[in-house]
Amino acid sequence: MLSDVLKKEYIKLNAECKDWIEAIKTAGQVLIDNGVVTEEYVEEAIKGVKELGPYIVITKGVALPHATNKIGVNKTGIALLTLKNPVEFGNVDNDPVYYVFMLATTDMDSHLAALSNLSDLLAKQEFFEVMKNAKDAQSVIDYIKANEN
Amino acid sequence: MKKGLVMCRTGMGSSLMLKIKLEKIIEENHFPLELEHDVLSGFVGHHPDVIITMSDLVDEFKDSGCYVIGIKDIMDVDYMTQELKKFFEQSNDEDYKGG
Repeated sequence: MLSDVLKKEYIKLNAECKDWIEAIKTAGQVLIDNGVVTEEYVEEAIKGVKELGPYIVITKGVALPHATNKIGVNKTGIALLTLKNPVEFGNVDNDPVYYVFMLATTDMDSHLAALSNLSDLLAKQEFFEVMKNAKDAQSVIDYIKANEN
Repeated sequence: MKKGLVMCRTGMGSSLMLKIKLEKIIEENHFPLELEHDVLSGFVGHHPDVIITMSDLVDEFKDSGCYVIGIKDIMDVDYMTQELKKFFEQSNDEDYKGG
């Protein structure tokens, strides 16, 4: 389930980031602070975008930065960062990005159910309204728990 | 039955999300397509009929000889459905019933 790996402490709302690198670093710091990944992992995620382009912007307004599980991953987790002002990743179709889901996984399977829940949620306009208007992390968690299955 | 390969850089994030979404579309439309997913470097060893990847990775496969579908928005179900239909229409797959 998504709520097993996207915890209340992993949510940071209305962050102020000047560009996409700062957005990944800020989301990454949340994962570092919670012992999910190390700094090397965050650097790898940034390097991935620089080398292969902004393919991590998977749908309009949503980025899913991640790197390989071989570097700096302690446990599976997903951080959610909402941005006060959107940033450009250089993805002509899906920029600008308002929501960053930073993903770290220990293996190929432990996050499958979570990603399946997330892909269902991202198909709901209501979920975007919840993230946009959330006053606190708990309200986002409450919505996720009520809508994942 | 055709074999599809979903590709991404790490095989951990975007390609998995894409595969999850595609599997729902395949099931709804009864496309005769089996999906695997892998990282760019893992391409050798798979012999897919079609490669499906995020649009900015399409160039990585331009010399592969495979049919390639580039996806810009993984929530754009209509586009993905239409592209898969196009693939099957040109493939003459005997299991494909048409859309």
